[in-house]
Amino acid sequence: MYVELKNINKQFGDFQASRHVSFTIERGQLIGLLGPSGSGKTTILRMIAGLETPDSGDIFIDGVRVNDIPAAKRGIGFVFQSYALFRYMSVFDNIAFGLKVQKKEQAFIQARVTELIKLIGLEGMEKRRPHQLSGGQRQRVAFARALAPNPHLLLLDEPFAAIDAKVRKELRAWLRETITKVGITSIFVTHDQEEAVEVADEIIITHQGQIEQKGTPIDIYRNPKTPFAAKFVGESTEISAYHQLPGFEQVDGFDRAVIRPEFVRMTKVAKEIYPHASGRGVIEDIFFRGNALEVRVDLSGEKITAYQQLDDDAFEVGEEVSVLIHRLYLSNEQEVRMVENLAINHVGSVFI
Amino acid sequence: MKDRIIKTILILIGVLFTFLMLILPLAIVLFYALREGVVMFFSAITEPFAVAALNLTLLSTGITLVVNTVFGMFAAWTITKYRFRGKQVLTALIDIPFSISTVIAGLAFIAVFGRIGWANPITEALNIRIVFAVPGVVLTAIFVTFPFVSRELIPMMQAQGNEEEEAAALMGAKGFYIFRKITLPKMKWGLLYGVILTTARAMGEFGAAAVVSGRLRGRTNTLPLHIEMLFNEFQLTAAFAVSSILVMISVIILILRHVVEHRMKQEEG
Repeated sequence: MYVELKNINKQFGDFQASRHVSFTIERGQLIGLLGPSGSGKTTILRMIAGLETPDSGDIFIDGVRVNDIPAAKRGIGFVFQSYALFRYMSVFDNIAFGLKVQKKEQAFIQARVTELIKLIGLEGMEKRRPHQLSGGQRQRVAFARALAPNPHLLLLDEPFAAIDAKVRKELRAWLRETITKVGITSIFVTHDQEEAVEVADEIIITHQGQIEQKGTPIDIYRNPKTPFAAKFVGESTEISAYHQLPGFEQVDGFDRAVIRPEFVRMTKVAKEIYPHASGRGVIEDIFFRGNALEVRVDLSGEKITAYQQLDDDAFEVGEEVSVLIHRLYLSNEQEVRMVENLAINHVGSVFI
Repeated sequence: MKDRIIKTILILIGVLFTFLMLILPLAIVLFYALREGVVMFFSAITEPFAVAALNLTLLSTGITLVVNTVFGMFAAWTITKYRFRGKQVLTALIDIPFSISTVIAGLAFIAVFGRIGWANPITEALNIRIVFAVPGVVLTAIFVTFPFVSRELIPMMQAQGNEEEEAAALMGAKGFYIFRKITLPKMKWGLLYGVILTTARAMGEFGAAAVVSGRLRGRTNTLPLHIEMLFNEFQLTAAFAVSSILVMISVIILILRHVVEHRMKQEEG
């Protein structure tokens, strides 16, 4: 493992920002620290960088305990949320700053900065000041500046937060591609699950200062280990009276359930396939989401969200439809369990 | 239509008020100063006591500028960079000179350093005279203009945050290098603005100086004190002539202030 946190605790006044945080990261991975605001993700990043000191616990980078190594000596590149570009310096001088501090030769600095400017595709803008750049360009400069001194670990704090939605998608792909190309171990912080899922090799979910789960995006999505992870990653509806749904029974110890939109299948009443496993719902709202329809359906009092492909049967608001829920995540305070709709299998066996 | 009438009336009131209350009196100063001819004007402003007063004002303004610029930068740096108990109180204390009459400030200095003051034995032992001497004039000028630089810098530095400094430190830059390359350029316009306000205020300082200086002509008399003395002696032309020096300095400061304000806005954009 390359980066390791062991039982890290950190408190700001009365606020516990980190509780028993432990995780490991392999070399060359791109990791997303995902959590709502105030969940302690930025604090973790800043402690790895050395901008904050943990109250207790150990941080290892490349096998070395770095707790007592000052931030500047840890060999870390840091991209700040607001980029923190030096506003009175040109693009070139911003990127060159770290190299100048290291007293590198002029020719080397020139070559390295030119190479990085080419990497971020800002040739010809070397002389511009940060305020003359767009949000996306600023982010690229901040990225290049962090990479210039050849760090072995790159940390990015909410790298896309300050960029408008349209450019953000493009930039995500670019960042992922570039980090892979450079091959640097990277950790980025985000509160946007879509962003984490799209960019990261692995996601670490934080909640109230704790690590909820670590895994690949698909793994976390399919097998959420905690109720929070189940709700936070992916679209979901939480309901309490899940035993009233057709095909599900009360399970001891689980008092609520999470339904993902893809667990729900809706058909016209006339085309119903599994009558025992399905219920009747009323369409409440239909939203066009570009490549699919998001449908809110009222299933005996529970408002459930589902997706409908554009070439499926078209529904109208107020229409009664057949709703089949084929899977649920049952949860309580601590754990999550996945259950399948019993009535589907049952009916299936009768048909055979 | 109604809107336009109201707008016109309001603008008219504003212009009229500014003209009557600000521009006219200042213009009259210049008018009276030159009323008895250029020769009288120059003899009034080159008279030894006037020159001595001008020199003292420039000296005390100069020292005040250096002291309060350095102090203001430290105060702003401390308050914006560190979290500590009593920070709010410190911030409020710095503002005291804003809310206290300068005469009271002068009296306070007398109470501390004067013959009756508790610090008198110490200053006497060191053979320093503060009250009724130049150091008193300088000290009160420093007191009165204490908050200007830090007041200007604190909100600005708070808005800018210290992420740039953090970024520089992460790349291995040392404290003074960071200050020179990053912090100073960031605060330069705010600092200059604070310095200009300090200058304007220090030059015009009257109340505290009147109490502390003892108004010894040619020795502890500042320019504003000198003007009032001339006026009390019915030397109107001389009083206005010397006033015109202060007015001209003020106009220059006013112009500088607007240039700096303009540049500040531009750099932020």
